[in-house]
Amino acid sequence: MSDSLDEDLCVAALDEASRLGCGYAEVRLHFNTYTGYSLRSGVTEPTVLVDSRGVGIRVICGGSLGFGATNVLSRQSVVEAVNMAVKMAKASGDGGEKYVLSAEEAVSDNWRVNQAKSLYELPSETVVSLLRDVDSASSREVKGFSFPVRLLRIDCSTEQKLYMNSEGSKISSVVPRVSFHSVFVGLRDGERVTVSVPPGYSGLGGSGGFELIEKLRLEEYVASRLTEIATTLSSTTAPPRGERVDVILGPNVASLTSHESVGHPFEADRVLGREAAQAGESYLKPGEYNIRLGGAEAYVSDDPTIPNSMGFYLYDDEGVKARRRRLLQAGYVSELLHNRATATKFAGRSNASARAVRYGVEPLIRMANTYIEPGDWSFEELLKDTRRGVYIKSFMEWNIDDKRLNQRYVGLEAFLIENGELKASVNRPILEISTPKYWSSIDARAKDMEFYSGMCGKGDPMQGAPVYFGSPHIRLRDVVLG
Amino acid sequence: MSFNTNLEEVSQGVITQAKKLGCSDVSVVVTRNHTRLIRFANNLVTLSSSVVDTSIQVYVAHQTRRAVGVTHDTSPQSLERFVARLVDSASRLAPSDDYVPLPSGPFEYPEEQNYDKRLEGEELVEHAHQAVDAALKAGAKRVAGSLQSLVRRVHVSTSAGVAGDDSSTKILLNVRAFTEDNASGHGLSCASFLSEFNPEKAGRAAGEYAKMAESPRQLEAGAYDVIFTPTVVANILPLAEAASAYLIQSGLSYFSDQLNQQVGVETLNVWDYGVYKGGLGGRRLDDEGVPTQKTEIIAKGVFRNMLHNSSTAKKFGTKTTGNAGIISPQPNTVVFGEGDSTLEEMIQETKKGLLVTNNWYTRFQNLRTGEYSTLPRDAAFSVVDGKIGEPVAGFRLSDSVLRQLKSIHLISKTRNWVEWWEVETPTLAPYMLIKDVTATVAY
Repeated sequence: MSDSLDEDLCVAALDEASRLGCGYAEVRLHFNTYTGYSLRSGVTEPTVLVDSRGVGIRVICGGSLGFGATNVLSRQSVVEAVNMAVKMAKASGDGGEKYVLSAEEAVSDNWRVNQAKSLYELPSETVVSLLRDVDSASSREVKGFSFPVRLLRIDCSTEQKLYMNSEGSKISSVVPRVSFHSVFVGLRDGERVTVSVPPGYSGLGGSGGFELIEKLRLEEYVASRLTEIATTLSSTTAPPRGERVDVILGPNVASLTSHESVGHPFEADRVLGREAAQAGESYLKPGEYNIRLGGAEAYVSDDPTIPNSMGFYLYDDEGVKARRRRLLQAGYVSELLHNRATATKFAGRSNASARAVRYGVEPLIRMANTYIEPGDWSFEELLKDTRRGVYIKSFMEWNIDDKRLNQRYVGLEAFLIENGELKASVNRPILEISTPKYWSSIDARAKDMEFYSGMCGKGDPMQGAPVYFGSPHIRLRDVVLG
Repeated sequence: MSFNTNLEEVSQGVITQAKKLGCSDVSVVVTRNHTRLIRFANNLVTLSSSVVDTSIQVYVAHQTRRAVGVTHDTSPQSLERFVARLVDSASRLAPSDDYVPLPSGPFEYPEEQNYDKRLEGEELVEHAHQAVDAALKAGAKRVAGSLQSLVRRVHVSTSAGVAGDDSSTKILLNVRAFTEDNASGHGLSCASFLSEFNPEKAGRAAGEYAKMAESPRQLEAGAYDVIFTPTVVANILPLAEAASAYLIQSGLSYFSDQLNQQVGVETLNVWDYGVYKGGLGGRRLDDEGVPTQKTEIIAKGVFRNMLHNSSTAKKFGTKTTGNAGIISPQPNTVVFGEGDSTLEEMIQETKKGLLVTNNWYTRFQNLRTGEYSTLPRDAAFSVVDGKIGEPVAGFRLSDSVLRQLKSIHLISKTRNWVEWWEVETPTLAPYMLIKDVTATVAY
């Protein structure tokens, strides 16, 4: 990107917005590049490239919000986009929500995530060769299961932004991201199953260069996880149903619960009803804070500043400096995720949660890296301390209602626990539980932490935002499985 | 590149460059979208946006090695760099067995396009207000939604002598209404022509459903005969997507190994149309420049045809159905056949059942067997002894697509167009009464 040209475009847009009488304007030059490599059952699929380059402009005119965007990066086109944004804001007229931003400091900064092995210069052969090795290691028969369908994918992307606003902020950034995903169809005696590694269609990776993928030792990881999964798929033992048992959740399952039933409902735009038509609302209501959602062991945070995380950023797309947000503290609602507009409604400051994933969409309140905070138990101690229960290590199917009160996770790898020891694997235990009951049932958290990567969906048009979800092993006391 | 730059000229430039770089096959799909969006919540407009976007999809085959890319960076220099990078990526891959020469043109394309010139300049705000007002008048206290208009022009050129254009328009309204106790109802209006668009009706439906759904009781877990609205049918039975030959050969479809098998009741018929006259969206040519067509997917409950591009067609020893997607065939417009029932008859037929008006978050436990669960969203009602009973809430439906297809009891004559957050492909869907669906509840 040519810095002087880009800055000139941004300045032209801000000048035009000022000329048109806007009280506030911001410009985001937003460039995304993506390269996807995949292997389907040993066959190389076409490489997929996606480049997206354009400018998104938000204005507040007469108190109403307008947005315009174009991928024609000429002065004329950008000025036209500003005019369109202003026209759209004014068209809202008296029927428009009055949009007021919290007061925040103007910032000037330039930051990037470093990469040892640049994704942009990565030879295709390197990635495809790695996928071939993973494929070879995972194509053997395990416990009677063959895996004739093996879909392996590595996604490499770079997000580059120049953000400027009419208050004097100017921030440029570069974030490379890389992740691995895989799906398998297993066959045994006419039985067909679909599984992913990692389970739950989550991914592994983060922000950085290809060194993040190399560190994962995917060849060994995928083969060993597939072996573990195949072993438990053989189980025909039913889980204890309809009785109260203790349940230890593995990080794979527990991490998603933090995202789904704390992260999303703590997005202030949902709480205020702004996402009601699409992504839904929240069990939290405006004004209902410092309420108790869970027990003394319920701690959840969201932190964009975790180095090399998938949701890493230092400033959000409203130019606010990022920091950790503790959402749930000892079971109490501690802090919501805010942008500058919702912060105003809550009489506070933004905590830098506004993100847009490409130039043509507005910034929305998004999670970054949401996780259950670690405790002080080891997994072995948790197990030893559990007399009768089920260990649900991983899952495949899940969903939650749009107020985030009613969640379900169907176990993939699961085992009975008897007198502190793991026993037989059990077939598909279902944890279908209300959110308050879930967070009130946690009585212990281990020290171990795992993070998984994913794309979080929200908005209309849909914006898939890169995130992490993380957790240690946790234990739920006295819950009922289906 | 401006909105009016010559699309064919741009495409030919890409083809010439890629051929110079040694490619045997090149296809170029230039798409220009002008999208306007009004979002509203709490009865107020929360965002008005206008986005003009041009994207260029390029497919190249270099000695049977393939790559495909999309760029939204359309300056001549950037496009040239992009094509060079794409060809370089392809040339580094192993030769592909999936390679098939692009279909040779020229082709003749059908005249029909779902395009309404009036949508080029139509102001949206008033339509949003109409929806909000109708919902409030029906008893809602607050209303949220999104209203989007799309004007799309597509040009497809290939190195095999194909060149063709397509234009389409859409106007899509998704509205949710809420009452004082947060009961909610949902309404949709989806059309390609302004004359077919009815924001007031959608708003009124959302408001009326919300009012009817006040003070719901917790449903008990169990098996129910469930009446699904078109909005739900279009989501939980994504039969055209599952008919993609790519997913079938990948083993990721419940239709794998089911060709010419009875997969559903005899009253079930499903087609994919290129362009459904007077319907919603669609295209008259696919990404390989092949004319799109009407393809029978399910006829009298028998799975008759997969959806193909030229590559999957070769694998299965058949002809393309005009559904490219370069990698995976995609449906254009899904049309369920009409039945002979009515919503009223379905209600009268039901002894112990449910009426589910909307849903979300459908997730599959096993893509191969079609086992899934989904969450009803907005108004749902018990149906007892042939009558709508009290509103119900707090449950999810857990079932398998293949079981449901064989348990369809009634299909309505009335069908509605559906396209929204949970349904990406335009779908003309009926009401359905499906027997013995499992409802579960949270502990």
